[in-house]
Amino acid sequence: MKTRDRILYTSLALFNEEGEPQTTTIDIANEMDISPGNLYYHFKGKDEIIAELFQQYEQALSHTLTAPIERPLSADHSNVEDNWYYLYVVMEEMYQYRFLYHNLDDILQRYPDIRRGFRRLIQLKRAALFAICQTLLQQSVLDAREQQLLGLVDNMTLTLTFWFNYSELLHESRPPHVTIHQGVLQLLAMVAPYLGDEQLNFYRDCESIYASMLEQAD
Amino acid sequence: MGDEKSKVTDKAGEIAKNIWLAGVGAYGKAVEDAQGRLEKAGMEPPKLFKELVKAGTALEDDAREALESTAAARSSVEERINRVRENFHNQRPARIEDLNALHKKVDQLSRKVDRLTKALSEQGVAGGARGRKPAAAKAATKKSTTTTRKKAAARGKTTTRKR
Repeated sequence: MKTRDRILYTSLALFNEEGEPQTTTIDIANEMDISPGNLYYHFKGKDEIIAELFQQYEQALSHTLTAPIERPLSADHSNVEDNWYYLYVVMEEMYQYRFLYHNLDDILQRYPDIRRGFRRLIQLKRAALFAICQTLLQQSVLDAREQQLLGLVDNMTLTLTFWFNYSELLHESRPPHVTIHQGVLQLLAMVAPYLGDEQLNFYRDCESIYASMLEQAD
Repeated sequence: MGDEKSKVTDKAGEIAKNIWLAGVGAYGKAVEDAQGRLEKAGMEPPKLFKELVKAGTALEDDAREALESTAAARSSVEERINRVRENFHNQRPARIEDLNALHKKVDQLSRKVDRLTKALSEQGVAGGARGRKPAAAKAATKKSTTTTRKKAAARGKTTTRKR
């Protein structure tokens, strides 16, 4: 791995684990066993590192979020569940850059560029969820009116953006797979009232997986 | 002036959103970039047209690149969905339907095994390897007309081809 990539990788790990405000460029250099001067050669400070990490995040998540907008994830009834699996994919991606969400307001205030990018991501999330719900509506998996659908999509977007903060506040730290699974379950709980029996089974499976995860965690 | 600018921004935002919703993902960012460049270009009116053409060309490249990379990303999204599905199936409790499906599969498989064993033993007879499978050979000789033997040989061939 190139030094530059290694700096990004190490920074992301430290930001996620220790928190972004608590991590200095000296910490990053120490962790990597390089001199602060060497780090400075690649990045002129923490701001540049954060900007680059966000750019990576935006690019990766945008790609993922564009997928259901371009083409339905489920071609017909046989693989409707792929839409739910997709939610895991999105949440896993977000979890990798969770430091951004740890003190979101602070970061958004410090970096106008990130603020704009974040806005784009939320719009894109909304569009992706809308596309998914619309497809499911057309495939008669969901039974809802247009107006309900818009409300549902907004609530799902809200959860998909802040579920992580919510989970942190409520449960403090939990293993990643539990946090992610709980997020998906929360999203499905919103869709559940509009689902037919077949997909309700999926929701129940999700619930029982969650229950056994909690048992294992204890 | 500030008011007019924000109107433009809102409109561009609206367009971007609509484009996203329409499904041509790659252009959303492009619109926003173009907006930034337009604002810059607005400072020097004579340059505007040149700037626009330049921005347009650059955007076309960006858009093409973005489209290409979304195609690559698409496959990786599918791959990741597959991984999650597998993981999920390993964790979820078995349902009656799953068990039934499993029974069906086992039945199918055992039928297939029976067929294969039969085909193999018949092939053994046709090839003259009598000593190796005496029981099967005996069963085959019971109805040893030339026609059935031919059929058996043909069947043996098709099964091997399938594998």
